Amino acid sequence: MHRSVLRGLLFASPWIVGFVIFQLVPIAASAYFSLTNFNLFQDPQFVGLRNYQRLAADALFWKSLLNTLYLTVIGVPVSLTAALAAALALNMRVRGQSLFRLFVFLPTVVPVVAATYIWRWLLNAQYGYVNGALGAVGLGQPLWLDDPFWTKPALILMSLWVTGSAMVVFLAALQDVPETYYEAAVIDGAGPWAKFRHVTLPLISPVILFETIIAGIFTLQYFTQAFLLGQTRLNAASGGPENSLLVYGLYLFQQAFVNLNMGYASAMAWVLLFVALAGTWLLLRVSRDRVFYAGD
Amino acid sequence: MRTAKVAQPWAVIAAVVVAVAACSNSSSPAAASAAASAPAVSTQPSAPAEKVTVNFPYLWSGPEGDALEKVIASFNSSQTAITVKGVSSPDFQKQLASMSGSNGFDISDNFGSTVGSWASKGILEPLDDYAKADGTDMSDFVPTALQSNQYQGKTYALPIAVHTLLLMYNKKMFADAGISGPPTTMTDLQADIAKLTKADASGNITQFGMRSPDYITLAYAFGGKWYDDQGNATPDDPGNLAALHFWVDNVVKKYGADAIKKFESGYGEYASAQNPFYTGKVAMTLDGEWQPVFIKQYAPSLDWGVVAIPYPDGQQSLAGATQLTSSMFFIPKNAPHKQEAWTFLKYLTGTDAMKQFSRALGNLPARTSLLGDPVYNDLPQFNVWLDSLKSPNLRIFASLPSTAQYQKDLSDEFQLVANLTDTPEAGMAKVKANASGYSQ
Repeated sequence: MHRSVLRGLLFASPWIVGFVIFQLVPIAASAYFSLTNFNLFQDPQFVGLRNYQRLAADALFWKSLLNTLYLTVIGVPVSLTAALAAALALNMRVRGQSLFRLFVFLPTVVPVVAATYIWRWLLNAQYGYVNGALGAVGLGQPLWLDDPFWTKPALILMSLWVTGSAMVVFLAALQDVPETYYEAAVIDGAGPWAKFRHVTLPLISPVILFETIIAGIFTLQYFTQAFLLGQTRLNAASGGPENSLLVYGLYLFQQAFVNLNMGYASAMAWVLLFVALAGTWLLLRVSRDRVFYAGD
Repeated sequence: MRTAKVAQPWAVIAAVVVAVAACSNSSSPAAASAAASAPAVSTQPSAPAEKVTVNFPYLWSGPEGDALEKVIASFNSSQTAITVKGVSSPDFQKQLASMSGSNGFDISDNFGSTVGSWASKGILEPLDDYAKADGTDMSDFVPTALQSNQYQGKTYALPIAVHTLLLMYNKKMFADAGISGPPTTMTDLQADIAKLTKADASGNITQFGMRSPDYITLAYAFGGKWYDDQGNATPDDPGNLAALHFWVDNVVKKYGADAIKKFESGYGEYASAQNPFYTGKVAMTLDGEWQPVFIKQYAPSLDWGVVAIPYPDGQQSLAGATQLTSSMFFIPKNAPHKQEAWTFLKYLTGTDAMKQFSRALGNLPARTSLLGDPVYNDLPQFNVWLDSLKSPNLRIFASLPSTAQYQKDLSDEFQLVANLTDTPEAGMAKVKANASGYSQ
């Protein structure tokens, strides 16, 4: 081997060692365990593809996958639209601009556990402020956290409160759009909508695609808020009302650490990887003609 | 020269690998104990032997946890070689997760119904050899409680307390509604729930006759059973269906699933002064023998009574039916200090500690010799729960490998039934179909 290659490997070795020990070996192990019955305490028994076959027939697996896809397919566009709208508003030059930016970003720094408990209280069907406000203006008062139909909209509502990090990225992208393009558009007679549609949107489209993919992958691994809102006394395993909060990550966790079906849980993890890959591929494919890279 | 230069990097890598290996080794218990028994250490002048710390996370919290801490303190003061470190950790999922790690705790508590599934998976340390080695007598334990801690002839946990659910009622609310006494039959119960439930003009419940019951226990009151004698799940037993129908037909359909859910979303914490039974939001509840102590703590002025769960009309032979559950202590297979944990477990479930603990928590003791003990005399109405143990209709949910999963499936399905999504028949048929796959 060439000397420079060895030196390169040497300098990369802290990472290589860490990667092999903490990532490659566990990943390989989970691939193997997904082909076994393994409860952590007794030796794994090789069962071939049986875990994957059982997944296909497991109603809760499909339910959890659909719950997660609901949050991904509906929740991600909604929260990114909100983030973009906030970024557009905060990009306007008004007095106190940085103060407004602070207010929009502030909830993002609240720890997710604390934020979820705040929302659990806000969304209480009987005493919560959300229903109090809805009632005051004569609107319906859903059982946000108790009715299986409303629990996921409640999660999406909660996500709108913490769009700060996506908003900041959008804001940076908006500020990168050269002023001259807008001037040219105005000279051509473009109004605010036309400017947004034909100048802003194409120029920030790579950022939107990036944020969509990242938020999508992130949402596929959704766990904390659903876990916390589903909590019961003594925190027995729970999927919320009629398992409407049983997102994929939560079901995987329950299989692994409540039912101690590590093999089954490993199989679920691999299925999720392929779902994420397929989703990303689809997004890249669909967006190919719609995303405009200024550098090309 | 060239070879030397090439060799150097590898030497560095090797050193790093060795260092990493050394770090991870020294933190493993095996290496630590090997080091401790090495000659170099044993020849040291006799330093005072270090006490072994037994880690004891428990599911109790609040005043119950405080009572347990007192038992721990009196054990610690009697010991020269062991220190028990208790910590309140009321979280089933955390308990299981930490048993699957390599550095687990030494002893903890749970309910007897978990023993079958955990023992069959190899999570629990069998205790018979420890008991045999120091001649521990097991014959004083309440037989049903001890049995639920055994699996395939081996004992995997020892009971500290047993529990039964009975019908508690608010005397003032009964008087206000013009009801002369507590119900004895299910028809009485149905009528009383109707009289005690109030709703406003828009259908919002403002007072609920009875808190949604534990359906497993309610089914026993209707003569139902959840397992047959061969250990097959029988969710569709006629008694179980009758119990579900009782609740669904007389309560849920009458007041509306959404109205009930909305009302229940306003319930306060169970172990607090905001418990809906204490605040008069619900007039009746199926609850356990710890309530006299709870009420003293959280609602001292509550005027309450307790009776056996009503029986279905004309079936007096089912009077006094209820579910017996047991609280137990166990040692997980991966406990670092099993022998020391056993010493503590033996102390906890011994007569003195059990008396102290069960009196402090107001729990039914799991030793036959303590059942008539005067120490419980000052607990108001505790004798009703003590009497419930004599009922021939006392039922226990079998502790089998499938129990944990079965109970999870049941509680999922009970939600669907109580929300009127599934009929009792359809719901229990689904559980039965699932149960056929429990195998293991």
